[in-house]
Amino acid sequence: MMAFYFQRLVEIFPFFLLGLWMTVKVAFISLFNCTILGFVLGIFRAGKNKFISRIIGVYVSLIRGTPFVVQIFIIFFILPEWGIQLEAFPAALLAMAIMGSAFICEIVAGGINSIPKGQWEAAVSSGLSLFQQLRFVVVPQAMKVILPPLVGQYVLLIKDTSVVSVIGVMELTRVGWITVVRIPEGLMVFSLVGVLYFVISYPLILLSNYLERRMA
Amino acid sequence: MIQFKNVNKWFGKLHVLNDINLEIKKGEVLVVCGPSGSGKSTLIRCINRLEKIQEGEIIVNKNPVHKRSSNLTKLRAQIGFVFQQFHLYPHMTSLQNIMLAPVNVKNIPKSNAEKIAIEKLEQVGLSDKSDSYPAQLSGGQQQRVAIARGLAMSPEIMLFDEPTSALDPEMIGEVLDVMVNLASEGMTMCVVTHEMGFAKKVADRVLFMDEGKIIETGKPDEFFDNPKTERAADFISKILTH
Repeated sequence: MMAFYFQRLVEIFPFFLLGLWMTVKVAFISLFNCTILGFVLGIFRAGKNKFISRIIGVYVSLIRGTPFVVQIFIIFFILPEWGIQLEAFPAALLAMAIMGSAFICEIVAGGINSIPKGQWEAAVSSGLSLFQQLRFVVVPQAMKVILPPLVGQYVLLIKDTSVVSVIGVMELTRVGWITVVRIPEGLMVFSLVGVLYFVISYPLILLSNYLERRMA
Repeated sequence: MIQFKNVNKWFGKLHVLNDINLEIKKGEVLVVCGPSGSGKSTLIRCINRLEKIQEGEIIVNKNPVHKRSSNLTKLRAQIGFVFQQFHLYPHMTSLQNIMLAPVNVKNIPKSNAEKIAIEKLEQVGLSDKSDSYPAQLSGGQQQRVAIARGLAMSPEIMLFDEPTSALDPEMIGEVLDVMVNLASEGMTMCVVTHEMGFAKKVADRVLFMDEGKIIETGKPDEFFDNPKTERAADFISKILTH
């Protein structure tokens, strides 16, 4: 029986590859979005304007303090009641961007806050604009602090894409669910799902370890 | 060139600058001294608005620094500031440290900025250290690069906030030499320091502060040899015995 199911699994493997492709798409578009948004939020979070910083702080706490699956449900099932109807794929991207940017925001703000005040003062005194101070002086130095946990966060975000299966995005985990109905060998099916996730995450885990050693 | 008119500043309840009136003329070298916490660093940090004042006026080169509307970027580009802890950018070489502001604030082409940077490094006696990172330099060398960084903007005023206080004794001389040369070239300078030798050699005027007030000003010789106030006399005796 095992052999038979394995045979079936091999037959529908292309279906898994489609799921993997969707996972990769959601993951990498989201990593991009989360990074951009996370840096913008993080810079304001660490900024001088206490009001803006607090508001971002509240946003981050709300996002970090609620389960991702609940956030997706709100976006996909509750927003339509207020007239905002999104397809599953854009809804998944939106939910990922909101969740991931909150985590990256804190990493970026932590990195920026680790830069001594004197660096800012030296840059200010020489006439650099705020944007130039960030671009040339503060962010390049903060990257040493930001990069290792950032790549670690990427791994977490890639795995979190599995949650978007709940709204029907046909990604890897969803493919696993559907398959297990026809091939009732849960261990076999989900081992394959796990291996495929691992294939994407492992290079990033290696990169994170490497960066941690190099930046230390 | 720099004018303080009835300047007041508080940190919370602490009255750090108490009704300061002061004028620094073009080409003048002013040394500011006083016990720690007397407000001397705050005083010079107000000149390029690293600190904001709550009352009064500060006018630098006809720009009202205290006003919100003043063009700070342009003003700061005309004022070099040297910190006690150097604050070189650790991820850049000496040359990159010096070139950063000329290229990005004054929009000088890179090749020209590099020429200027090399010239300034020569001026502070470090032409062989252009590709060194700050961590590879001694404290005295770092401070000289910091001075070169300030000079590369061709400033009209140089401000020094205890430039030798963080240095090992054997390195103080090399930094002071650079400053003495600068003074003799006619740079307008405002220097917070307790280096009496430097003050006597190049200062046009010494200003003594305590508890946020200017207690006494005078020619360096008069000030150090015959201080008019008891507080100044007390302070001088303390820095002399150490």
